[in-house]
Amino acid sequence: MNAAPELAVRLGPLELPNPILTASGTFGYGLEFAHLAALERLGGLVTKGLSLAPLPGNPPPRIAEARGGVLNSIGLQNIGIERFLADVLPGLARYPARVIVNLFGYELDDYARLAERVEPHAGVAAVELNVSCPNVKRGGIEFGHDPEVLERLVRGVRGVTGKPLIVKLSPNVAQPWLLGEAAKAGGADALSAINTVLAMAIDPWTRRPRLHTARGGLSGPAIKPIAVRVVYDVARRVGLPVIGIGGVETVDDVVEFLLAGATAVQVGTALFRDPRTAERLVDGLAERLTTLGLTRVSDLVGAVRPWAEP
Amino acid sequence: MVPRDSAARVLAVVQHPLPYFTVALEVPAAYAEAEPGHFVMIETRGGLEPYLRRAFSIHDVSSGPDGVRIELLGKVVGRGTAALAAARPGELRALLGPLGRPFAAPAAGPVALVAGGVGSAPLFLLARRLAERGTRFDIFYGGRSAADLPRREELAAFAERAGGELVATTEDGSFGRRGLVTAPLEQRLREGRYAALAACGPMPLLARLAELTAAAGVAGEAALETEMGCGFGACLGCAVPHVDGRYALCCKDGPVFRFDEVRW
Repeated sequence: MNAAPELAVRLGPLELPNPILTASGTFGYGLEFAHLAALERLGGLVTKGLSLAPLPGNPPPRIAEARGGVLNSIGLQNIGIERFLADVLPGLARYPARVIVNLFGYELDDYARLAERVEPHAGVAAVELNVSCPNVKRGGIEFGHDPEVLERLVRGVRGVTGKPLIVKLSPNVAQPWLLGEAAKAGGADALSAINTVLAMAIDPWTRRPRLHTARGGLSGPAIKPIAVRVVYDVARRVGLPVIGIGGVETVDDVVEFLLAGATAVQVGTALFRDPRTAERLVDGLAERLTTLGLTRVSDLVGAVRPWAEP
Repeated sequence: MVPRDSAARVLAVVQHPLPYFTVALEVPAAYAEAEPGHFVMIETRGGLEPYLRRAFSIHDVSSGPDGVRIELLGKVVGRGTAALAAARPGELRALLGPLGRPFAAPAAGPVALVAGGVGSAPLFLLARRLAERGTRFDIFYGGRSAADLPRREELAAFAERAGGELVATTEDGSFGRRGLVTAPLEQRLREGRYAALAACGPMPLLARLAELTAAAGVAGEAALETEMGCGFGACLGCAVPHVDGRYALCCKDGPVFRFDEVRW
């Protein structure tokens, strides 16, 4: 009988007990899941995007189903960084899960101001920058689509935080690795990819867009092949650890992202239909490594066998 | 109540006049404490479509020597409801619940219950509870036609047990009075016949009831229906405009709201 495989992974300075995290916007602030899932089994949890001031979010309808996925336009409704730090973070301290705080700003400077507020809190293991939300008019998506702007933004945050710094990339650009390189130049420690895919759906009977904002972000299994492609390209070209996001629901999905070059994955939309998806994947990944005769997760990272030199 | 996720066994699917059906499920014992207005998120079928669970009001609860069972009343409108209506006895469905804020039990009668079509889903359990407590109530039950008033005989029996009646309306006149359900209600509200009102139905009906209850000075609550992603406050998809300017969540702040809480 071999020893249990080693699930711990390292994303630059960030060490995680296993490579299964929960994705921003799909896990609330963590405590929403406390009675439904085993938070202590997670490699880490990423909070809903937090801004300097609370945001009310977009008018309904905000969510709609697509085949194999979900369209959303929540509009970054959140309680604001101050309330999170005062009221939520202490509650999360009861759980050993690594807390990664997702930050969102309207202005370039907002990101550094948010990171400054987070910096003294030992309960925050890392910071993830949301520069790719498709559902807000200002900020977010503009910062994540222009390499020069993104580099400046990341450098500003790097200047005020010693915490591991993750930049979440948008799939809604032609060459996502250029943004990855810009984030690296600005001082990012890791990249996460992908945010939701800009999308739209219309009710054929009422003729109404299914989302009030018409356009929204598509998530779930429907976007997984897009995410795998982005992770593959970004991991090979940028040289930073990558967290794969997009339709992760089964152990096969996890392995696929690892082979494409991801060091860890985030589970998102699948948590809505099964709140225990993430812990299930932790167990399933360990079993899979054993089946494959592997001792470490890192044996799979980037181990895709291309048909020809890519 | 602390919601739990379980695998519920389908006991029976009962077809009412199309497109309405009830599904009976064997559920954990904690469901015996479920209150009118609580809801569940249920897996309608495995696979990728529908991808999300669907929200259903707890329509009825019963406990017996075989355990606790709940019923859900559904209307087939899309793939999710069609899949659930096609469930077979013995099959398992992932079930999360009981969820949400239930109706505040009216302190005193008489109560007006107002149901629009499948909006009778949560009011059925409320009617049962009021009848058991002997709180007098009338139920106003409206739909497009006779088929849109599922389980009206049982609802009438509950009302009569507590000294009230069922007033049915249909837009095509195929059952009860012809017209909208608000017509017979409006007169009685003005006459001061009710101490409280509880409703569930389409948004235009609820918005009209908000006006009528405010004008009559009657406290009222409504169970709302919105698009819903998770059912427990994580996705923030089920926004309901609140009078304080923010968006409330139908799943956690509701699904039952006082009429004066919502920006109709």
